[in-house]
Amino acid sequence: MATTTTTQGSEVQGHGAHADHGHAGHGRELQHHFETAQQQKEAATLGMWVFLVTELMLFGGIFMAYTVYRWAFPDIWAEAAHHLNTPLGALNTVVLLVSSLTVALAVNAAEEGRKQRLIRLLGVTMVLGVAFLGIKGYEYSEKFAHCAGYETPIAWATSGAPLGETECLVPGRAFVFPAAHGEAAADAHHEVTPGQSSPYQLFYLLYFIATGLHAVHMLIGLSIVGMLTFMAARGVFTSVYSTPVEIGGLYWHLIDIIWVFLFPLFYLVH
Amino acid sequence: MATTALPSRGYLEDDTPTVWAWIKSWLFTVDHKRIAILYLLAINFYFLLGGLAASVVRIELITPQGDLLSSDLYNRAFTLHGIIMVFFFLIPGIPAVLGNFLIPLMVGARDMAFPRLNLFSWYLYMIGGLFALSAAVFGGVDTGWTFYTPFSSTYSNSNVILTIAGAFVMGFSSIATGVNFIVTTHTMRAPGLTWFRLPLFVWSSYATSLIIVLATPVVGITLLLVAIERIWGVGIFDPALGGDPLLFQHLFWFYSHPAVYIMILPGFGVISELISTFSRKRIFGYEFIAFSSMAIAIIGFLVWGHHMFVSGQSVYSGLVFSFITMLVAIPSAIKVFNWTATLYKGSISYRTPMLYALGFIGLFVIGGLTGIFLGVVAIDIHVTDTYFVVAHFHYVMVGGTIMAYLGGIHFWWPKMTGRMYNEVWGGISALIIFVGFNMTFFPQFVLGYMGMPRRYHVYPQEFQVLHVLSSAGSTVLAIGFIIPLIYLTLSLWKGKLAGDNPWDATGLEWTVSSPPPAHNFDEIPVVTTEAYAYPPEAAERDAAAWRPGSPL
Amino acid sequence: MAEHSNTMPGTDGHAAASDHHSHGHIGRDTYYRVFAALMVLMVLTVGAWWIEGFMEIPRVLGVLIAMAIASSKTVLIIYYFMHIKISNRVTQLYAAAAFIGLAILFIIVMGDYFARGWPPSSGPLP
Repeated sequence: MATTTTTQGSEVQGHGAHADHGHAGHGRELQHHFETAQQQKEAATLGMWVFLVTELMLFGGIFMAYTVYRWAFPDIWAEAAHHLNTPLGALNTVVLLVSSLTVALAVNAAEEGRKQRLIRLLGVTMVLGVAFLGIKGYEYSEKFAHCAGYETPIAWATSGAPLGETECLVPGRAFVFPAAHGEAAADAHHEVTPGQSSPYQLFYLLYFIATGLHAVHMLIGLSIVGMLTFMAARGVFTSVYSTPVEIGGLYWHLIDIIWVFLFPLFYLVH
Repeated sequence: MATTALPSRGYLEDDTPTVWAWIKSWLFTVDHKRIAILYLLAINFYFLLGGLAASVVRIELITPQGDLLSSDLYNRAFTLHGIIMVFFFLIPGIPAVLGNFLIPLMVGARDMAFPRLNLFSWYLYMIGGLFALSAAVFGGVDTGWTFYTPFSSTYSNSNVILTIAGAFVMGFSSIATGVNFIVTTHTMRAPGLTWFRLPLFVWSSYATSLIIVLATPVVGITLLLVAIERIWGVGIFDPALGGDPLLFQHLFWFYSHPAVYIMILPGFGVISELISTFSRKRIFGYEFIAFSSMAIAIIGFLVWGHHMFVSGQSVYSGLVFSFITMLVAIPSAIKVFNWTATLYKGSISYRTPMLYALGFIGLFVIGGLTGIFLGVVAIDIHVTDTYFVVAHFHYVMVGGTIMAYLGGIHFWWPKMTGRMYNEVWGGISALIIFVGFNMTFFPQFVLGYMGMPRRYHVYPQEFQVLHVLSSAGSTVLAIGFIIPLIYLTLSLWKGKLAGDNPWDATGLEWTVSSPPPAHNFDEIPVVTTEAYAYPPEAAERDAAAWRPGSPL
Repeated sequence: MAEHSNTMPGTDGHAAASDHHSHGHIGRDTYYRVFAALMVLMVLTVGAWWIEGFMEIPRVLGVLIAMAIASSKTVLIIYYFMHIKISNRVTQLYAAAAFIGLAILFIIVMGDYFARGWPPSSGPLP
C-alpha cells in the first residue's frame, strides 16, 4: 500500500524517507504512520467494519421504506411479487453464497501464503460475481422486454413471440400491472386498481432501486476483487501480509448479506 | 516557553522548486495538518458565501414589503443560506478543520489512520460544494434545506437535483472523516494514553463520528430516493402510488436531528479545552463530560420526531419524542455545570479564546433552554415554523458552534501557523460578535413568539421594529466576522512567533513545535498522566503572579 | 510538559494495538461446514415459501420465518466468514452497532406508523 506518487518534497511517503522515525526494519507494506504491522492491520479491519456499518445503514433506508409499504399493502405485495422470476432469484442466491465461500477460502489461502490457490479462488469469485450480474441483467431485461411487448429478451431482440397480455413492470409512465390478476387484491381498505398510480408500482420501484443499488455494490465488489487478483498475481501478498484480501473479502460478504435479505423480501412473498 | 530548535521541518515548509510543484504538494498532500488547512480555506469560503446569503435575507427583511427580492428569490436566498451553512459549514466545520489538525496530535500519532482517505474526503467536500455552488449559479433552489417532499420531488422548479447531489457527496466526505476519527482514536493512541487520559475534544469528536457513521448514510439514501423520484417521475414518497411523504421526514430527520449534534458536539469538546486551559485548572468532572458526549450521541438518535410534531405523525409518538427530548437536556446541562464548576476558583484569563468560550456558555444555555420549550408539544405547536424556532437554532448553531469554532481557531492558531494574532483585535471582535449576535437573534425570539412565521419575505407593519433591530444586529455580526479574517491573515506575516506552548496548556499537541513538524512526533510520546494535569496550585500561583499586562 | 517527561517504561504498551484478540484462526473445514449450513438454510427458506403456497398460515408467520432464516444466514456469514468470531472487541461492537442503529430506526418509525394507523385509509386518525 505504500504510495510513491506523493510529491511533497520532503514528505515523501516512500520507503527511504522514514528512516528518521527510528522504526526501520519493518516490512515494506507498513505505512509510515503506523508503529507495528499489527496496528496497521487492526486499523484497516476496523476501518472496513465502520465503513460496512455505513453501508448497512444506507440499505437500511430502503428496507425501512419496504417495511412501511409492505405493512400497508400486504396483498398487493404478495401479488406483485409473483411476477418476479423466483427460480432465477434463488439461483442468484446460490451463486452469491458460493462466491462468499470462495472469498472466505481466498482469505484463508492468502493467510497461508498460497499464491496460486489465492489467484484461482479470486478468479472463481469474479466469475461468480459476473454470473450474478448476468442473471440479474437477464431478469431486468425480461421486465423491459415485457414493456416492449415481447415474451422474453431474446424474442425482443429477434422480434420473436409477442407477449399475450399487456404488462409493464418497469416503474414509469408505461407501468401496467396486468389487470386480470389485480382484482383479488382490492380488499376492503383500499380500492386499488392495478394501473399506473398504484402500490404495485411502489413494489417494483423498491425492487429496482434495492436490487439496482445492490448491483452497483456488486460492480464495486468486482473491481475490488479484480484489483486484489492483480495484486496477488504481482506477489504483493505473503503469509504475513494479506490485509487487503481480508478487508476486500469483508466487503464481498456484505454484498452477500444484503442479498440474503433482498431475496426473501422480494421473491418470496405470499 | 521558548522556541527550541526545530527537530525537523515544519509541516508548512517546502523546498519545492516551482510554483506548480508547491501547489501539487498541497493538493496531493496526505498530511492531516495540511488537509486541515485545505479544509479551513474551503470551509471559510463557504461560511462567507452562506453569510452573504444571510445578509441578503436580512436586508430584504428591513421593510415589511418585498422590495429587494420576489418571494421566489427570497426562498432561494434562505435556502442557499441554509444549505451552505448546514452542509458545508456547520457539519464539517469543527471536525474537518480542528479535528483533522488536532486529533492525531492529541492522541500522539503521526497521522490519521487513513491519510489518503482523509485527502479523498476533502475532494469529496469540494465536489459536493461545487454541485451546491453550481445549483446556486444556475438559479438556486427553493425547497429550504430540508428538501421536504412532495415539494422537492414534484413541484419545485429549481435545481433540486444538483443540490441533492451536493449534499449526497458531502455526506460521504463526512463519513470518510468519521471513519478516520473512529479508527484513529481506537488504534493510534500513544502508549499510556488510555481512554480516560484523552483530551475531551477527542471524546467529543469520537461521539460526533459515531453519529456521522450511523446517520449520514440514511440521509444519503433518502436524498437519492428524492432524486430518483424527481428524475424518474415515480417515487416511493409519492402519495399517488400509496407512498407516504411523512416517511421522507422520518428518514430525513433520522439524520438531520443527530446532525445538529454533529454540529454542536465538537464545539463542546473545544469549549472543554478552552475552559480548562484558561482557568488553569483540571476540568471538573472529566468522566461526566466524556460520557455526556456519548449520551448525547446516543439519545440524539431517539428524538428526531420533535421536528414533526405538527406534520401528521401520531400524537403518541409526539408524546414519546417530547419526553425523550427532555432527556437530552441532562447531558447538556452536565456539561454546562461542569464548565461552570471548572471556572470556580480558577485563575481565569480573558484571552480571546476564553471570551468565545464564555460567550458560548451563555448563548448555548439560552439556545438549549429554548430547545426545551420547543420540545414541549404544546409550546411547539404554538411556535412551530416561527422565528422562535429560527432564533433557537441560531442560538445553538451560531452562538454555539460558530463561537466554539472561532474560539478553537484562535486557541490553536499559534499551533497551526506558529504565529500569534493580535490580542486586542481578537478581544474586540469577540465582543462585537457577542453583541451583534444577541442583537440579531434575541429580537427573533420575540418576533416568533408574537407569531412571525419563518421563510416569509413580507410581514405585518408591527413587526418592523424588531426586524430592523435584527438586521442591524446582523450588520454588527458581519463586522465581527470580518475583523478576525483580517487580523488572522495579517498575523501570518506580522504576528509574533508563538513558541511551542503560548498558553502554557497541557496536551500532546503543545509538546511539539509550532507549527508542528511534518511527522508530528519524532519519538512517539509515552503518556503517564491524565488530561489537563494542571498542578493543583497552578491557579493560585498564576493569580499571585499576575500583573497588569501579563499574558495569562 | 511535566506529565510527559516522566516516562514509565512499559506502562501499557501501545494503548490499543497491543491487546491481541487473535483468539485463533478459522479453518477451511469450518468454512465448508458453514457453507453447507447456508445452503440448507437457503433450501429451507425457498421450501417454506413453497409450502406456504398451499397452506393457509398467517402472513406474519411467513415473514417471520423468512426473516429468521435470513438472520441466521447473516449471523453465520458475519460470525465465521467475516471473522467476527476471532476479531477484537471493538470490531465486534461495531458489527453490532449497525444492527442497533437499524433497530432504532425501525422501532421508532414503525412505532409511529403503528400508532398513527397505517395505511391512512384504514380509519380516522386516533
